[in-house]
Amino acid sequence: MRVLLIEDDELIAHGILAGLRAHGLIADAVTTASQGAAAISNLHCDVVILDLGLPDEDGASLLARIRAKGFAVPVLVLSARDTVEDRVALLRAGADDYLLKPFDLDELIARLHALSRRVGGRSVDLIVEGPLCLDPASGDVRLNGNPVALSRREFALLAALLHSRGRVLSPAQLKDRLYDFSEEIESNALSVHIHHLRRKLGPGLIETVRGMGYRFGSAGQ
Amino acid sequence: MTLRLRLLLMIGISMLLLWGGVSVWMLKGVEDEMKTTLDRRLAMSANMVAGLMSQNPAAWAAMPGRVATTMPVPGATTGIMCQVSLRGEVVARTPGASSAAIDSAPLGYAQRVVRGLEWRTYTVEAHGLRVTTADRMAERDSLLDDVMAAAIVPFAVALGGSLLVLWFGVGSGLLPLERLRQVLEQRTPDTLAPIAGVKVPRDLRPFVDTLNTLLERIGTAIGRERRFTSDAAHELRTPLTAIKTHLQVARITRGADAEQALDYAEEGVGRMHHTLSQLLTLAKVEGAFSWDDGSVAFANEVGRLAVRDAAPAGGVRIEANPGCDSVELAVPRALAVTALRNLLDNALRHSPGPDSVTLAVHCRPEGVDFCVEDAGPGLTGDEYGLATQRFWRRQTGRGSGLGLSIVAAIADRFGGALAMARGQRGGLAATLSLPRRAV
Repeated sequence: MRVLLIEDDELIAHGILAGLRAHGLIADAVTTASQGAAAISNLHCDVVILDLGLPDEDGASLLARIRAKGFAVPVLVLSARDTVEDRVALLRAGADDYLLKPFDLDELIARLHALSRRVGGRSVDLIVEGPLCLDPASGDVRLNGNPVALSRREFALLAALLHSRGRVLSPAQLKDRLYDFSEEIESNALSVHIHHLRRKLGPGLIETVRGMGYRFGSAGQ
Repeated sequence: MTLRLRLLLMIGISMLLLWGGVSVWMLKGVEDEMKTTLDRRLAMSANMVAGLMSQNPAAWAAMPGRVATTMPVPGATTGIMCQVSLRGEVVARTPGASSAAIDSAPLGYAQRVVRGLEWRTYTVEAHGLRVTTADRMAERDSLLDDVMAAAIVPFAVALGGSLLVLWFGVGSGLLPLERLRQVLEQRTPDTLAPIAGVKVPRDLRPFVDTLNTLLERIGTAIGRERRFTSDAAHELRTPLTAIKTHLQVARITRGADAEQALDYAEEGVGRMHHTLSQLLTLAKVEGAFSWDDGSVAFANEVGRLAVRDAAPAGGVRIEANPGCDSVELAVPRALAVTALRNLLDNALRHSPGPDSVTLAVHCRPEGVDFCVEDAGPGLTGDEYGLATQRFWRRQTGRGSGLGLSIVAAIADRFGGALAMARGQRGGLAATLSLPRRAV
């Protein structure tokens, strides 16, 4: 799962990014509303974490703006304002969830997973596709009931393919879901991860669509 | 005691006392006048009889001896009685006259009691004739009582009537106050809206206006305090969030990542500590806290101490004025240093490199100007006004947002001033003026 964090306080942003990455999520941070709006328009992200006190624009107005443009990405708002009116106004303006500062990291991550699950139309965390069973929150993967050890990238790659439900994802789209801005990506990195996944889960699970990309294979179903 | 009862008692009692006194005085005068008038009537009657008798002495000189019968005179046996005697022999007497009361009455006025009745007599002697007139005192008294009653009854009725009018008049006069009381009684304690919709007379207007002004001021003050509390909570939540998040990261990571998270958490603690101490300083400066510790603040020394606190490793150029060495400030040293230090912190935070901040000290006859200039981006039009607002900071600012508020509060408390303008190098030039101690 790829998370975009819009937070102007660098100290907090560092903490949240480190926490998300430690939990196996792909996360990026921007510090202003304009950067946030640009990132939402141009990049793939599964969930947005939005701080309200931004220097160039109020978070609530940014939220209204991206909703008006038709972006349906789930948004979790972080705020220090704790009145009921504030929360109601934000939820009405298009926020999907609300967390009061200071928060618990585990709670933040659980809420992010819950938001992503709702978007995927599931009511439990587990993603089950044929013999494959994946728990996005714990990072647990089982094939025919037996645990499979995957690296962070492999897990993210598998989750991205499962989330797309059989649609083809181009290598660029996959890289978007696997790496944050700060990471250097080697040209063959993606094929290496695909190769490892096929080795661990069986060759038929990931199909190559020539000239287009990859998708979760019918062999798995 | 209600206002109405108080007014009524005050006016009623003073009215009773004044009018009572006046009436006693008046009645006393009437009584004296009546007595004199009646006495004069007695004397005039006696003189008139004596005069009549002396016109024809032959008529009665020829018949000495006692009058056998007196001529009956029609009419009541009240009023003045008269007796005329010649050498001890009664010549004439009005009917009903009591000889006991009249006989041997002394000359002139006299008062005597005969058989339980009190008399007033007047006796005159002329040509051997002795004429005595007499009045019954009881009759006089009842006459006097009638006169008194005629005077007192209308007075008492008028007094009672005016007290009654007073009761209702005071009541209706106090009606606007009563309406105001009801309006105020219906308000909840946190209603701070001005009083409106109550009709009050012109002389109560200033009272209502003052009350409304007070309500407005209290409302503003409470609103400001609430905003401040909410802002303060918000400001403290931010570093607290950073600390908490980094501590949680430190718990789930190892090695360098954990170390880094702990470092960040410590930075958060430092920031929170800074915000808290700034908040406390501001509360103390604005509160009733006494700062007078007896210390003496010399202008140049304040400059040196503030620079040492703000930039212990150097980085501020001081242009101290030698003439200011022994110039004493009328501000406690700790506060003068705090104010200047906040200005320097602010300048250093927005300045690009070392030695780009300058502090100049100028002494004037009435005060000392500390001019801090930096080479930062400066402020734009609106920002000059916003800069001293609590919790305002520039977009990229990293301070608590309280530094300049504290400077302004200190200047304000001790009669100084904080002025901000564009500096010669394009940065911010802030001038803190503090008053000198009177020599």
